[in-house]
Amino acid sequence: MFWRILKKDLKRKKTMNIILLLFIILCSMFAAAAVNNIIAVTGGIEHYFDAAGVPEAMVYIEGENDLEEKIADLPGVSEAKTEHWLIFPDSACCEYNGRKLDNFIGILVGVSEKEMGINYFNEENEMIRDVEKGSFYATKVFTKDLDISAGDYVEFTLGETTLRLRYAGRLKGALFGNDSTSSPYILLDSEDYECFKSDEAAGMMPISYTYVHTTDTDKVEDLVKGVENVNVFGRDENKKIYLYDMFAAYIMLTISILLMITAFVVLRFTIGFTISEEFREIGVMKAVGIGNGSIRSLYIIKYLALSLLGAAVGFICSIPLTAAMMKTVSENMVLGSENGPAMGLLSVAAVVVIILLFCYGCTHSVKKLSPIDAVRNGETGERFKKKSGLRLGRSKLPATGFLSVNDVLSAPKRFGIITVIFTLCLLLITLMSNFAQTLSSDKLLWLFEVPDCQAHILDTEMLTEMMSGQRTYTDIIDENNRMLADNGIPGKCSMTVMKNGETVHGDKKVKINYSAIKGADDFQIRIDEGSAPQKNDEIAMTISAMNHLDAQIGDRVTADMGGKKYDFIITGRYSAFASDSAFLYRDFDFGEAAPTGSVGVQIRFDGDPDKDTVNGYIEKIKEATGSKKVYSSADFVKTMTEVSDTLTTIKRLMMIITVIVTVMIVILMERSFISREKSEIALMKAVGISNGTVIGQHTLRFVIVSILACLLATALLSPVSDFLMNRICLLIGDVSGIRCAFDPAEVLLIAPAILIGVTVIGSFLTSLYTRTIKSADAAGIE
Amino acid sequence: MCTVLQANGLCKTYIVNKRQNNVLKNIDLTVEEGEMVAVMGPSGSGKSTLLYCVSGMDRVTAGNVVFNGKETAKLRDKELARLRLDEMGFIFQQMYMMKNLSVLDNIILPAVKSKKNKESRRQTEERGRALMRRLGIADVGGNDINEVSGGQLQRACICRSMINSPKMIFADEPTGALNRSSSDEVMKELLSLNNDGTTVMCVTHDPKVAAKCSRVLYLVDGGIVGEKDMGHFGGGDKELRDRERELNNWLMEQGW
Repeated sequence: MFWRILKKDLKRKKTMNIILLLFIILCSMFAAAAVNNIIAVTGGIEHYFDAAGVPEAMVYIEGENDLEEKIADLPGVSEAKTEHWLIFPDSACCEYNGRKLDNFIGILVGVSEKEMGINYFNEENEMIRDVEKGSFYATKVFTKDLDISAGDYVEFTLGETTLRLRYAGRLKGALFGNDSTSSPYILLDSEDYECFKSDEAAGMMPISYTYVHTTDTDKVEDLVKGVENVNVFGRDENKKIYLYDMFAAYIMLTISILLMITAFVVLRFTIGFTISEEFREIGVMKAVGIGNGSIRSLYIIKYLALSLLGAAVGFICSIPLTAAMMKTVSENMVLGSENGPAMGLLSVAAVVVIILLFCYGCTHSVKKLSPIDAVRNGETGERFKKKSGLRLGRSKLPATGFLSVNDVLSAPKRFGIITVIFTLCLLLITLMSNFAQTLSSDKLLWLFEVPDCQAHILDTEMLTEMMSGQRTYTDIIDENNRMLADNGIPGKCSMTVMKNGETVHGDKKVKINYSAIKGADDFQIRIDEGSAPQKNDEIAMTISAMNHLDAQIGDRVTADMGGKKYDFIITGRYSAFASDSAFLYRDFDFGEAAPTGSVGVQIRFDGDPDKDTVNGYIEKIKEATGSKKVYSSADFVKTMTEVSDTLTTIKRLMMIITVIVTVMIVILMERSFISREKSEIALMKAVGISNGTVIGQHTLRFVIVSILACLLATALLSPVSDFLMNRICLLIGDVSGIRCAFDPAEVLLIAPAILIGVTVIGSFLTSLYTRTIKSADAAGIE
Repeated sequence: MCTVLQANGLCKTYIVNKRQNNVLKNIDLTVEEGEMVAVMGPSGSGKSTLLYCVSGMDRVTAGNVVFNGKETAKLRDKELARLRLDEMGFIFQQMYMMKNLSVLDNIILPAVKSKKNKESRRQTEERGRALMRRLGIADVGGNDINEVSGGQLQRACICRSMINSPKMIFADEPTGALNRSSSDEVMKELLSLNNDGTTVMCVTHDPKVAAKCSRVLYLVDGGIVGEKDMGHFGGGDKELRDRERELNNWLMEQGW
């Protein structure tokens, strides 16, 4: 009998059961995709470094020496692989389509397939084992702004050797920088490599990179200490390359969590809704003496069957969704998890368990209801407040509008949940819009430790000269100030100069990046706690630097910069993308030693000019300097982070997903409402209310809810996006106090219009189904 | 007296599992203004189907229905809905009402939707209240529909059917779900409406109800097999008993 009831139920309530099944599929799909993303992102860099076989220490060696052999002989070293780099001095060494390249500034590095120190990957994240003769793989920096596809030929010239090589595809290397200021890399066939290498006319300085698998990195550091033009990098230091890639990945993670929450809210609502549909039958079963346990198990078994089927389909559907979501954030990385399918299965299994728990919770009221309460659709006949404060006789609304508003107010919980679902859907789009907007606006400028300014010159040639000691930062600032004056541009240049210093506090020793702004005397860094440095022996530090040093505000630390020791007192804490950083007073003198880094030349124009004027000045500066690398502050942030485009792609993906999800939710919910309200629709028709009014009432209910969702999402957008942005930034850097930028047209007009439009179209088309309900059905409905 | 409703050659066929079920077979029917017609017959004889077909709630398979000079088959859905809203009233056996509206709002909803109603909302509400007072349910106007008794709800349904002052009220077993005293109250109201000039067509199983009508139609297997003119009911108990006896005898002859 039990099975016969179940079989009959599945057959008779086909529409509702199909609706529920679709929601379960949706939920399982998002859960599996989200869990996979979360796992892939949280272990992202570690996974990539493991997959690439990145060792504990890497040694950059410039010039002739015997360090390679010495490193290999060090105790604790199990393996040391060296890549001897081919150096193509500039982009003009490459010719594509008859034109010399100018799309990258730095040197081009060539690596031989025979010497690969770590594992390299292609665009499909497959490991590259060899390179076909006459072809090459290249990193993103090489192909940037170049309309090139696999199979195209590029001519490389080094010394007197010219080879025409076929582009085989994208090269992903765990330690290659991917921002536009990094050097591009190419992976060559060993014979082609040797061909260039043997060219004596090239006059190449030997540069090598040794990957050291060791249990004692200190020994490696001690070995190269004091050796000129040799640097040691630890595995953790190299993770900073992916600072901004992780930004996009964490944003995707946030979105995945939001999607999962949306799916579960939808599912909980649908289960509660469908079970309340069953109350009358539950009442009949109770009345004939079937026990609560049997009734509950009947529904739990039904939902188990549906959820198993839904979870299986959802899992299959999650595979392409996961791939699409990961593809957008793993352009430069090999993200993923070996346990992906297993975790996907585990998450859909969790969905099944959660569905059963929902079902158990929803059928809980079976115990409390008397048979007759259940027959009355769960109404006990007791009520202590009005369902809706509206009265038709006193309302100024047209009848259709009144019916819709009254329906919404009469079932606040039901429509409240739909409002929450729509709010989450809208937030998915608007949050992405805000994140993308923030990462391409000047709102984050201060996190790069540069002063408020309107233009940036990122000419790497000039910076390389400074770092190699050929020019001082004072020369560069003066030269650029002269350039501004000569071209009639009212403004002042400054530079953020950086130098690494091994810093000691107690028994802790950490490599800290020290920065000072030169040329902007009125600039004060934004301080989160304490005060900004006011003297040469004062510094502000990021929280991770202080944590690594086990230091606090007020503590003294000693830094070794270029062999000279300095004592500093920590006066404050500040935020920066670069984790282990300290900020120096502007008058601090770095001495003779050349700085180890800079973020270019910053220009602050006089008189706070408008955007058009700034753009005009930037064009003039480009002409005067002959460099294309002059940016506005917004473009500077965009260029430095390089994730704005990725976020825009994610935003589009989210828009598509949100539109699909919203349409599905609207269609499925409206269809459920029609099924539930069939008798009322028939009654309305029987008393002479037209199809148009019924369709209008049903459509308007969703419009009201979507407008409420738009208002709620708009109110929440700013605090939620600031909160999430700060949380994400905190995960990847030492950042707090970010205020997100937003595009008013996009978040206040376009996104709400999409939600309302999708809702109107979806609910209108679905409510057309009410036309099939006849007035005569009023007499025949149970 | 003029004809309010005329049906000629009315047929209604349902097809269930490829089997044809002729529910109404070639029915001719005329209802004059001010009449109160009862439709009786055994279960499954097509009484309710006849009511739905002549009221335009259901489409006929063949034949035509003319209501107040308008052929319902030729009307579009919208026009048919307007006709039902403005010129017809409906009372069902189950007291169907909108769950999210109060009793009073359920009553005045058709008036608010009607284009012929030129009153303000307040005036309409006042008229709804007046109807409720007349039917003795004035104090439940603000209540939810599950907070009133079956008799009160059915009287509210009558108020709803009357709110647009229809030409004709169609009632499908209006007392079927009520006890005797509630049933008597409901019939009293329907009679009062009829006395005021509203035409009533009422499907019923109850000879006590039918005895109060001016004409009784008897349906068997989708066809009208008998028709009895009962004359106008004056309202006295003795008259009612006499009419009941007369009707019962006639029904016995029909095979009741």
